Amino acid sequence: MSGATARLIRAELALMRRDPLVLTFVVAFPIVTMLIIGGAFGTTPDRAFDYTNPAHWYVASYLTVVIAATGLVMLPVHLASYRERGVLRRFAVAGFPRWSFAIAELVVGLIVTAVSCVLLLVVALPVYGLPPMHSLWRVGLALAVGAVGFVALGVLLGSVLPSARSAQAVGLLLFFPSFLLGAGGPPPHVMGAAVRTIAGPLPLTLLTNAVRSPWLGIGSGGASLLALAGLTVLVTVVAARRAVL
Amino acid sequence: MDGLDLAVPAGEIVGLIGANGAGKTTTVECIQGLRKPDAGVLRVLGLDPVTQAAQLRPLIGSQLQDSGLPDRLRVSEAVTLFGGRHGAGGQEGASLLEQFGLGSRGRAAFASLSGGERQRLFLVLALLGRPRLVILDELTQNLDPAARRSVWAAIRQLNADGTTVLLVTHEMDEAEELCSRVIVMRDGRVVDSGAPADLVDRHAALATVRFSLPDPPAGLLDQVRRLDGVLGVDRLGPRVTVRGDRRIIAHVGAALVRWDSVPWDLNVQVPTLEDAMLDLLAAESRPVELAGAVR
Repeated sequence: MSGATARLIRAELALMRRDPLVLTFVVAFPIVTMLIIGGAFGTTPDRAFDYTNPAHWYVASYLTVVIAATGLVMLPVHLASYRERGVLRRFAVAGFPRWSFAIAELVVGLIVTAVSCVLLLVVALPVYGLPPMHSLWRVGLALAVGAVGFVALGVLLGSVLPSARSAQAVGLLLFFPSFLLGAGGPPPHVMGAAVRTIAGPLPLTLLTNAVRSPWLGIGSGGASLLALAGLTVLVTVVAARRAVL
Repeated sequence: MDGLDLAVPAGEIVGLIGANGAGKTTTVECIQGLRKPDAGVLRVLGLDPVTQAAQLRPLIGSQLQDSGLPDRLRVSEAVTLFGGRHGAGGQEGASLLEQFGLGSRGRAAFASLSGGERQRLFLVLALLGRPRLVILDELTQNLDPAARRSVWAAIRQLNADGTTVLLVTHEMDEAEELCSRVIVMRDGRVVDSGAPADLVDRHAALATVRFSLPDPPAGLLDQVRRLDGVLGVDRLGPRVTVRGDRRIIAHVGAALVRWDSVPWDLNVQVPTLEDAMLDLLAAESRPVELAGAVR
C-alpha cells in the first residue's frame, strides 16, 4: 500500500469518527433496534424462528444490518458529498494515485463495519447472550464477502449519485426496505408469500441467510452465499472502474 | 478550446482572463491532466500532463475553482494529508501555516474557517513541496479587501522565490496588480496577450477628464480642443468633458493652470485593464486575431 493511500486511510478514519451519520446509522441504530426487537419476541424458541431463541435469531441477523448501513447509507453520502464539493478533484490534482481513494474507502468501510459489529456483540452479550456459532468459517466467509460487496455497492452508489442529498435519499430508500425484509424485520415464516418472494433475492436477505443459517445451525446458507459472491464480484468490478480518481 | 496557443514563461506571473465560458478552467484542467485535449501538443515543464501525470503532478501546486475539503478535516490534518507526497507535511507545512496566518488554527475544522482562512489554507496546500508551477483558479473570489491583499502579497513573495504562477481570475484589478503578462480568452481562443499596460494601450487607450467651469474664460475651451491627443470636448451646462489619449491628462491640467481656472472638481478617468477586456470581449463581430493591433 502506497504512502498516499495510507495517509488517505488515516484521514478518512479520523473523519468517520467525527461523522454523526456513522455514529447514528452504523453504530447506534443497529444496536438500539436489535435490543428492542430482540426483547419484543422473548427468548423462548419459536417455530417462526426455525425453533431457535428469537433474541439469538436477531443477534445473528444484526451484524448484516451494520454492513448494510455502511454500504447503503454511510459510504454513498460520504462519497457523493466529496464529489459534489470537489474534494475528489483536489485529490486527483494533488497527485494521489488513481486507485488510492477506492482502496482507502474499501479499507475504511471494512474497518468501520468490523468495529461496529464488535460493539454490537459486546452490547448483546450481557443482554441476550451470544448464540453458539455452528460453523465459524461459513459465518466468517459470508461476513467477509458481504462486507466487501456492500462496501463496493456504497462506493458505486456514491460515484454515480449526483449529490449528497440524493445519495441520502436513495440510500435510505434502499436501506429501510432491505432492513425490514431481509434482516431486522419479522422472520420470513410470518411474511406473506408475495412479500417473501420480494424479500428473497434482496442482497441483504442473501447476506443475512448466509450468516444466520450456519451461525444458528439451521442450514448452510450455501446457495445464498454463492449468489451473494456473484453479486459482490459484479459490483466490485463496476465500482472499481467508477471510483478511480 | 479551439486552436489555443499558449506559452507561460518560467518565473512569471501570467494571468488568464476572459468571460464565463471562455475556456479558462478547461485550459487549466488540461494543463493539470484532468482533461485530455482532443488534439494538439501540450507540454507543462516539458512533460505531457496526460501520459506523464505521475512525474508532473508533484511539480505543480494547484488551487482549483469549486473544490473544497471535508468539513471535519482539521487544518493540520489537511497539511499532513496533502503534504505527505513530498514529505512536506511537517516543518514546511508548519512554516507555511505560520506564514499565511494559520499557525494557531491547526486544530480548527475546515468548516469553521472563514472564507479568507479557507483560501489561505488552499494556498498553503498548493505550495507544499515547493512546486515549480502554481496554478491558482479564482483564488481571491469572495475575499474581503484585506484578505485579498494578504493573498496578493503571498503570491508576489512566491514569485520572488522563482515560482511560475498561472493565475485564472475574473478580477481585473488583481490581474493588473500581479501579472507581468495577461492572456485574454474568448470562445476557447486567445484573443490577445501582453503586459497589462500594453493591453490597456491597445484596447482602452482613451482617457476622460471632467470638470466644472460655470463661466470659462473666453478661448479656454477652444484651446483645449486644439491640445495634443484631444479627440472631443463636450459641454453640458457648467460640466465639461474632454476625451482623448492619455496625454490629455497632462495637457488639460496644464492649460487650466495657465488660464488660472483650476476647477474644484477636476476628475480624471484613466483606462484600466477592465476597460480593455470589456472592449476585447465585446468585439464579437471582429476577427479574433487582434494581437499587435493598435486602436
